[in-house]
Amino acid sequence: MRLMRFACVPISLFVTALTVSAQTAADVEKGRQLFLGMCSRCHGATGNGGEGPPLTRLQRAHNDEELRAIIRDGIPDRGMPRIRRFTDAELMEMAGFVRTLGQASGSAAMGRPENGRAVYQKLGCASCHIVAGSGSGFGPELTGIGARRAPDYLRQAIVDPGAALPRGSAIPGRGFSEFLPVHAVMQDGHEVSGVRVNEDSFTIQIKDVAGRLYSLRKADLKQLDKQFGRSVMPNYTGRASAAEVDDLVAYLAGLGTQGDAK
Amino acid sequence: MKQAILLSMAVLYAANCFAQVPSQRLARAESEPSAWITYSGNYKAQRYSPLDQINTRNVAQLKPTWIYQMRNSGIVETSPIVADGVMYITEPPSTATALDLRTGRPLWTYTPRIPSDVIIIGSPPVNRGVAILDDTVFLGTVNCHLIALDAKSGIVRWDTVVDDNRKGYYITAAPLAVDGKLLIGVSGAETGIRGFIDAYDAKTGKRLWRTWTVPAKGEPGAESWGGDSALHGGGSTWVTGSYDPDLNLVYWGTGNPAPDWNDDTRPGDNLYTCSLLALDPATGKIKWHFQFTPHDVHDWDATEIPILFDAQIDGKPRKVVTMANRNGFYYVLDRVTGEFITATPYIKQNWTDGIDSKGRPFARRDADPKVEGTLVYPAIAGGANWYSPSYSPKTGLFYHASREMGGVYFKGDAEYKDGTAYTGGGGESRNGDDAYGAIRALEGTSGKLKWEFRLVTPPMAGTLATGGGLVFAGAEEGNFFALDAASGKLLWDLQLGAPIRASAMSFAIDGKQQVAIAAGSSLFVFGLP
Repeated sequence: MRLMRFACVPISLFVTALTVSAQTAADVEKGRQLFLGMCSRCHGATGNGGEGPPLTRLQRAHNDEELRAIIRDGIPDRGMPRIRRFTDAELMEMAGFVRTLGQASGSAAMGRPENGRAVYQKLGCASCHIVAGSGSGFGPELTGIGARRAPDYLRQAIVDPGAALPRGSAIPGRGFSEFLPVHAVMQDGHEVSGVRVNEDSFTIQIKDVAGRLYSLRKADLKQLDKQFGRSVMPNYTGRASAAEVDDLVAYLAGLGTQGDAK
Repeated sequence: MKQAILLSMAVLYAANCFAQVPSQRLARAESEPSAWITYSGNYKAQRYSPLDQINTRNVAQLKPTWIYQMRNSGIVETSPIVADGVMYITEPPSTATALDLRTGRPLWTYTPRIPSDVIIIGSPPVNRGVAILDDTVFLGTVNCHLIALDAKSGIVRWDTVVDDNRKGYYITAAPLAVDGKLLIGVSGAETGIRGFIDAYDAKTGKRLWRTWTVPAKGEPGAESWGGDSALHGGGSTWVTGSYDPDLNLVYWGTGNPAPDWNDDTRPGDNLYTCSLLALDPATGKIKWHFQFTPHDVHDWDATEIPILFDAQIDGKPRKVVTMANRNGFYYVLDRVTGEFITATPYIKQNWTDGIDSKGRPFARRDADPKVEGTLVYPAIAGGANWYSPSYSPKTGLFYHASREMGGVYFKGDAEYKDGTAYTGGGGESRNGDDAYGAIRALEGTSGKLKWEFRLVTPPMAGTLATGGGLVFAGAEEGNFFALDAASGKLLWDLQLGAPIRASAMSFAIDGKQQVAIAAGSSLFVFGLP
């Protein structure tokens, strides 16, 4: 073992001295395997995003060093965990593979963004969402959403909104689904419906569609239903045409991706 | 004025001023419940306070007595020591502070010089508390020193290097004072250390013995390692053990083999990792060992607190040691011989098809980590972790903060290099809506579930049982709460504003019982109005 260690030293020095771009195809393949295990659940198998942002355009990592730092340490306040400690070689392989994702052709949105903006207005999306400061803050903010969510995920959010609620923000934290629909019945029969803002083992904070906040002690409730798999957002299948959905996805996917905050 | 000074001096003298805690006092800690003089409250590590002034009828009136805010940021896992009017705590990463027990006002604080490039791999830079013996307080540090401080002033009496932090050795555990010696364990399996338990002379800081947790070539157990893998075999000893003065045996748990998730180089059982060791405190000799998880591949340390009690089992009086292991099973062993009595899963687990009559699990190899990941219950942090469970001799119940969560385990490359991560993989906890926690009361002799109190997330905080029929516990969301020890009924709770990553303890001052718990960067003390 000790002999093997000495034998390894020059090799690891060599690897460290290399730049990511100089990696071999075998290194990138090893990086791909690591990526499939640890990253694909949120970023998609091809890095086109999903629950996590697409990695075809790296918004945070301006250079290889920053990219390796993000892989190594995670971004805990944005829901990206540090899954494990990599060896230097593994870190290079993983970063090398992530770099190749930018060269792949992404699943670009098919519709026309300018039409999508009109669809956004027609469907009244602003009654629940804020883009660039305009709208109502009942649902998730959509400013710059195209940089954080892949087109496929945005489409799903429109046609099957309960399938994958967002996760990973600091509130409610701990990997809880955000905007989870809940229905509470108090001991006196009074009912409250809305989304979960936060929760601990003893209390729950609920916001209803009118924006009212309810702070309830669980001991005072007769019933508390957490409606997993559902969303308070309407399912727009049938309410919007297929072309309108395409256009809306294209509009949203463009937010924050071409220097366009709106 | 003169009278006032004389009066206050009289009060202080009446409180015996600063600590004098000889070994005999430690051995009968149960007889002075107003103090809390070992990490777990007594040598049996029961984290049980016989005090009953705060009880099921009045706990709802609990109010803060004082709050102390740490000067350092970081996770606070400290379990205070209380003796003779003074509380001794630690602050992250390795500061010891003495507080006036009536007011929480600091009396002294000591911060060792920690190099900026200190190597801490495998946990946050935390400290769980000090030990006290005679007039000296003992502190382990993240750069792997053991330091003796004058209890009256915080001034250093001696400062001993336990082992080389450049190789990844560090200390987060509270030492245990036994018979004039200080026993201490180390962290560092994630850098491929070779683990040990050390004993130091309390007066001089001289090392009296070292017991390696991983055998050298030719020693018993060496055959349970492949090649030279034992040289960096891990086996940390990072949580304080327990002690039976009558049997004169120390019980101390050991952690994972290294590398954690890549077992290619270490075929075999990897003794004495993931084990409980029974040691002779005079020599450090291993009297018996019991390995909970042979050839661990999930990082399921067996460093959880070993609790000692005596009970009737199958009509026979038994002296037992019990552990709610990180691997998801509650174990009952004969603490005289190490004989396996029983094991029961206390959480959902899917890594074993069961446990044989000798206590060995039928480990499923399809639960091993893979490059593409393997979903296994429990997650890496386990069904239990470093935080303390408690046992009430009044109810015969073992009170446990259980973590119900799966995790995906990944296998990766492992390459040993001094002072760097030697883990060979890692894991992702599935900490979403499906994960949860519970305070569970298990029958001490069997592990059978008596009651549970559900929590929305897996906790990382211990329990305290009291003579007042209460169990105190903490939640990740910051709730500190009291349950009826007999039924699990919620009797009191308060939001402390930050995650609780500590275990509560209890003491009395001026005839009034208090309960202390750390949350966020603060230490809270509660009493009746």
